Amino acid sequence: MPSSISSSNQAGSEAALDSAFVPVRLTASDRPGVAQPVPVRDIPAQPWGAILVGAFVLCAMLIGGWELYWRAFGVTPSYRNSDGQWVMQRRRIDAGEGSKTVLIGASRTLFDTSLPVWERITGQRPIQLCLEGTSPIPILQNLADDPNFTGRLVIDVSPDIIFTGFKYRASVLPYLRNQTPSQRIGDWLSMTFLEPYVAFYDPDFALATVVRRQDFPLRPGMHANTMVRKLATHDYDRNTRMWKKVVDDPEYRALARSIWAEDFGEPPPNMDTPEKSQKVIDGEIDKAVAAIDKLRARGVRVLFVRPPSDGEYYAYEQKYLPRPKTWDLLLERTHAPGIHFEDYPELQGYVLPEWSHMSPPEAERYTAAIVPLFEREFARMEQTERR
Amino acid sequence: MVFNSLTFVVFFACVLALHAMPFSWTTKKINLLVASYLFYAAWNPPFVALLWISTVVDWYAAQGLVKSERQSARRAWMILSVVVNLGMLAYFKYGKFALENFQAIAATFGIDYQPPGFDIVLPVGISFYTFATLSYTLDVYLRRAAPARNFLDYALFVTFFPHLVAGPIMRPTELVPQFAEPRRASKDQLRFGLALVTLGLFQKVVLADSFLARPAEMVYDGQKIPGVVDSWIATLAFSGQIFCDFAGYSTTAIGVAMCLGFAMPDNFRFPYAAVGFSDFWRRWHITLSSWLRDYLYIPLGGNRHGEARTYLALMTTMLLGGLWHGASWAFVVWGGLHGLYLSVERALKHRFAGYRPGPLAIIGFGLLTYALINITWVFFRAKTFGKAWTVLSGMFGFNDKAEPILPTVHLVAVVAIVGGIVIAHWLMRARTLESAIARTPAPVVSIVWAVMAFAIVIAQGAGNAFIYFQF
Repeated sequence: MPSSISSSNQAGSEAALDSAFVPVRLTASDRPGVAQPVPVRDIPAQPWGAILVGAFVLCAMLIGGWELYWRAFGVTPSYRNSDGQWVMQRRRIDAGEGSKTVLIGASRTLFDTSLPVWERITGQRPIQLCLEGTSPIPILQNLADDPNFTGRLVIDVSPDIIFTGFKYRASVLPYLRNQTPSQRIGDWLSMTFLEPYVAFYDPDFALATVVRRQDFPLRPGMHANTMVRKLATHDYDRNTRMWKKVVDDPEYRALARSIWAEDFGEPPPNMDTPEKSQKVIDGEIDKAVAAIDKLRARGVRVLFVRPPSDGEYYAYEQKYLPRPKTWDLLLERTHAPGIHFEDYPELQGYVLPEWSHMSPPEAERYTAAIVPLFEREFARMEQTERR
Repeated sequence: MVFNSLTFVVFFACVLALHAMPFSWTTKKINLLVASYLFYAAWNPPFVALLWISTVVDWYAAQGLVKSERQSARRAWMILSVVVNLGMLAYFKYGKFALENFQAIAATFGIDYQPPGFDIVLPVGISFYTFATLSYTLDVYLRRAAPARNFLDYALFVTFFPHLVAGPIMRPTELVPQFAEPRRASKDQLRFGLALVTLGLFQKVVLADSFLARPAEMVYDGQKIPGVVDSWIATLAFSGQIFCDFAGYSTTAIGVAMCLGFAMPDNFRFPYAAVGFSDFWRRWHITLSSWLRDYLYIPLGGNRHGEARTYLALMTTMLLGGLWHGASWAFVVWGGLHGLYLSVERALKHRFAGYRPGPLAIIGFGLLTYALINITWVFFRAKTFGKAWTVLSGMFGFNDKAEPILPTVHLVAVVAIVGGIVIAHWLMRARTLESAIARTPAPVVSIVWAVMAFAIVIAQGAGNAFIYFQF
């Protein structure tokens, strides 16, 4: 039906500039060199009220079914581990909380640190800025350049991340710099109205991810490169714990291990000879040294921590990134203290279901064990500074 | 803010509610104007000042044009408008590019020129609203249109949020008259407008972002050397991505405007069913190609001053059209290739003036057109000429050290989606979307709408910006 601002289809013989072109509704391309008239738009003759109601009901049913499917899979609503959420926590440093303890690093300190347990022990809840699969060096540099940060810094050392410079979440710092007011509002809306209530609202269950995960044959000459599956759930302030399914479902746990194992057959990228490997490691340590010098100059206390790993993952780290060539060198050159799980009996013997991260009860036990060690090291640093 | 964001959903709901309130028409227009400024400020509030400068300068320039009787005075007002608008565009968009090229030229003469730091953020949509507002003063100068009767209508024309940042590039004669009388969408306009919004977002969030962007990235932004399959699949993926991204934006914008009771022009007309390049440019980004034709190609002489001048005007228009897309020589090459295609087509049409292709030949020419357009997309997508040559070499099988890059799932998805797009364009090439919907049973329309909305929800788009925002 024609609407108040429309007309029906028009044939424009004057616009038929070549034999192949058949105009069905004139546009500016058919009217050269003249003032363009008010456009016309048709409303197709359809019962739009019934169509809208039908579409709405069907869409609601499909969404409800999708939500039920994922809940049956074991998913519960959780905050998305998004760039927006990370930026919210990072901004706390510039909003009056710059003297607090900040955690940076990869997923081990993200999963294995229970913020409520830490708060119970020290009376203070640290700011969690660890990022899965991401070297802490760029975040360290960012904090070093921020005069508002004057607190204490714990840096997670996951050898295959920090010493290779791998950055799965490289987008967070550009997002911190360039986040628009619209994105800020969107992040708040998402965290307030969607994430606490909708289970499927997680990147791991996005349509494209689900499609990519199907069993397509491998092309000749290509290696399997499976995306890491969902491993954790998150609270509003990024307090993170291993997802229950990884702990309870042997099949899912085996899948998580097999995905890690895809990388264990060869050295990390650009580290296939000892010389190349040491060059990459030295480069990353150089960056850490420069950033830590800046932090120390304004009184920030820095402490490294090497959380436990297990099984084939630990064997892989030992083979390609052994402690003398990585951890020991890092402490020696940065002159910063560190806590390596191998050196403390109380940091050993934890259950790591997929070799890299702890189950929630183990993370609580580990936090309770390591926080006093952190406090002791920080106190020692303070005493040294006083002298 | 982008259409594919939660912020926009809330914003648009508020705008619709305000527009439905029993306010006077002037109050409603003020509401729309304020909403449009908020829409723009949601990216970078200080850049609203640029909108104001552009708006105020062109308003006074048009007034000056009308009041001036001498041609020299009229020309001066027109030049003022052109200089201010293109000056802003040049400074923000091409300043760094110009300095880099100057530095390179100086270096060829042995001069080590170090330009000052030029770290300028490009205001979103500046190329679009600059062209829209320029068309206002140019139409008044060319006596094609009378100036707007009041400042509010004119300011709303420049700023109206559905077209503000990525078009369709509106002409004043298309939009200003719509502000003269009270407008409110009928129930069916509102419903069909929402259906168009869903279709546009489906193209953007589901097809472009979820399935086509990644394979293009893996080949064009990766380090590996692509072979024939990967080069073609990545380029086809980009051809689908850029269409779904940009046509998706235009369709959403048209739907949003329709929900408020306004009409916006078509910006795409099933372009991948084009037969020949003049046909393509009547179907692709119509509001830009017609703008360039009316305000650049025709003033340069068009086809009225002999063949040589025609070809010169054509090439100049397409080269500048390429540069409009971005401050990079790759975009100039992209425009130049299109200029070359159009010139060759024109020459062939003269040489074979009596030739009338049959149905099979039309399909053959159509597929050839699409293949050649894909060659141009290589320069549009590649970040360096080196990468463009690598992909082009791959497309023609010249990369000896090629290795497979894209997993099977991407090959299947790209072939299915891009194949579907091309087939749909051929089926629709002589029809409108509206005429096709009118002939479709209502339950099917309802199901398709629901499935598209469901796919948008479960795609969980990350609010990625539309590609054309960077232009």
